Amino acid sequence: MKHTLRRDFTAWMIMLPGVILFTFFVWYPLVMGTRLSFYETKGITTVAFAGLSNFRAVFSNPDFWPAVVNTFKYCLWSLVIGFLAPVALAIGINEAAFGKNLFRVSVYIPNIVPGLATVFLWRFLFRSGESGALNMLLSALGLPMSSWLSNGAIAVPLIVVTMTWKSAGATMLIYLAGLQGINPELYEAAIIDGAGVWGRVRNITIPNILSLGRTLLILQIIAVFQILYEPLVMTNGGPNNASISLMQMVYRYAFDRFEYSKASALSVLVSVILITLTLVYNRTTRSKAA
Amino acid sequence: MKKLLALVVSVCLCLTAVSALAETVLRLGIYPEDVDVDTVKVHETVFDPAFAEAMPDVTLEKIYYKYAVDTFVPMAEAGNVPTIFQTWFTEPQKLIANGFVRDITGQLEARGWLEKMAPGVRGLMSDADGRVYGIPRDAYALGLMINAEVFEDAGLVDEDGIPLYPKTWDELVEVGLKIKEATGSAALCLLAMDNAGGWHFSNIAWTFGANLEVQDENGKWLANLNSPEVVAAMQYVRDLKWKYDLLTSDPVSENWGTGFAQLGTGAAAMYIAANDAVNQPTSVQGLPVDKLMMVAIPAGPAGTFALGGGTPYMFAANATDEEVEAALKYIEIMGKAPVVTETSKQGLIDDAKYRVESGIPVIRRFSGWIDPDFIQAELDVIAEYANVDPRMFDHYFDTAAATLRLEEPMMTQDMYAELTKVLQEVLTNEGADIQALLDTANANLQAVLDENVNR
Repeated sequence: MKHTLRRDFTAWMIMLPGVILFTFFVWYPLVMGTRLSFYETKGITTVAFAGLSNFRAVFSNPDFWPAVVNTFKYCLWSLVIGFLAPVALAIGINEAAFGKNLFRVSVYIPNIVPGLATVFLWRFLFRSGESGALNMLLSALGLPMSSWLSNGAIAVPLIVVTMTWKSAGATMLIYLAGLQGINPELYEAAIIDGAGVWGRVRNITIPNILSLGRTLLILQIIAVFQILYEPLVMTNGGPNNASISLMQMVYRYAFDRFEYSKASALSVLVSVILITLTLVYNRTTRSKAA
Repeated sequence: MKKLLALVVSVCLCLTAVSALAETVLRLGIYPEDVDVDTVKVHETVFDPAFAEAMPDVTLEKIYYKYAVDTFVPMAEAGNVPTIFQTWFTEPQKLIANGFVRDITGQLEARGWLEKMAPGVRGLMSDADGRVYGIPRDAYALGLMINAEVFEDAGLVDEDGIPLYPKTWDELVEVGLKIKEATGSAALCLLAMDNAGGWHFSNIAWTFGANLEVQDENGKWLANLNSPEVVAAMQYVRDLKWKYDLLTSDPVSENWGTGFAQLGTGAAAMYIAANDAVNQPTSVQGLPVDKLMMVAIPAGPAGTFALGGGTPYMFAANATDEEVEAALKYIEIMGKAPVVTETSKQGLIDDAKYRVESGIPVIRRFSGWIDPDFIQAELDVIAEYANVDPRMFDHYFDTAAATLRLEEPMMTQDMYAELTKVLQEVLTNEGADIQALLDTANANLQAVLDENVNR
């Protein structure tokens, strides 16, 4: 043991700052947050052990089940709208004969717009009535105006469109890097064999970025599951809870009501759901890969 | 060596003792922000020198702090809350329950201020044992703000140019239809984006005879959101939207701030708001000061009510007695305490001058104090610096004072949230089943009351 420590001393010293920072900013808050969920609190100070009562209170909150359903809806819509968009963009830009840099920068630009500016911009575009930008366009085209975000049936997909507009560029760059790492000789061989664009995409491109896609898929689900500020600013979870998310409930518990123990309990539940999803996904894809 | 050590220790102890004696620091979290140049100037030239003269041993730390729920708890846990800060009347109970503010009953008793506080306001800032944790800066009552320019454009003014305002909800529809036809503006901006929607609606529901929370004979609190009176009030809201089309285009995206924008720019002719926000449509949104009118909330079948609330000053939990005394002295100098002195009168005058220069109506307020001398002193200053026709506000003040009603007492924000959800559905779905929605809202609120209040 002593010998091992002495041998790895330098490595431990290199890791030390990282370990300290992780302990302080990640692991300690994680453990304390979990502990908080089992206690009655005053502010963030624990008062008495509360067992599972915080979890029971969260489950019986009338907003809980709408928030669960909506959060899964966000994930689903983000897969429908947001997962394929960066793949398509990356393939399109990779195949472009000219203007690659221009397109790459153009697609990435929304990513550098601050998040709140993005949602305010889209809220203005989606505003219902005559003062909404998209409604002005529809009106000019002689089409009927829409109530956009005020329509509970389409509020979630519209918010997902906003998120996709903002973040697809960054994901596209990762796919593009993956695509550019594919050996060009494979494409040359395919062309010689008479493969068209779709044939090349299906037989070379997709298999080569599949593992990257799997990783990004689970990362996207984890990120979208924690959606907060988009519904908070654009719809405040409405109309009538049609777009409320689980993290918005966490925000309300913590900051509107100062009930940090319940906020922690709900955060723990979100973590459990995400860990379960990740395990199931990994197991499924591993067995398929095998 | 021992002697030297003893000397060093003695000097250190003396220095510590001296600094502890001399250092009372008032962390004044109610200082205006830097960009508010005129108000800062008033503090620097009037209030601060007067305070320095009155309490020369106290160091003033000027802090602009705007209470925000998402930053307050970390500040409080770290002990960084300013000695005195201002918040809203919906917050004291939450702050008291979490131990974030300190009891100042003793200081108020010694100054004779306890008896001068309006009983309803005092109740909002007291715990179950009657200990008091704050004092009122000012109070408000909801009323109906009117953009007189829109009424003029619609020809709805008398021979003196005073708008012919609606006194009942039925009259609001009549007036609204004329406004819509003549100007194209919406008659009313109704809020439904956040809890402010439920807040305003609760006042409407009262005028239809609703009591949104009731107590049974055992003291248990019961939700009462699905009574026939609430259904009738909600039906009225539905008619405003779907039958008469008198609301702004998208109430679900309207909040407190956008409502003032709609009113101030003339996109809406009327808006439910309070007297403490008359700067919003005028100096913020550009409506000329003489074109703003305030009247009482239109009457329903049960008459009219004015929902009351306001802004309290509260004190950090770790503030010392000396710091609280210093803070109360500063409040006294600002003219916000029930004390009439030359300095406090000057505070009222400077505030009125600032309003005149900024195009904000100089009008009466609901002070939260019931001291007759203080109220008279304030009225004298208002009479001297009045910059609006008093007839534009008479109906509001005369009626609101007599019909003031404090917010429903238990889990109020949760109640507003439930009502807002119903409003959102009713305003976006013409065929919404009001009774079913209110039944759900009632069951939800009852669950919250049972979990948090009726335990």
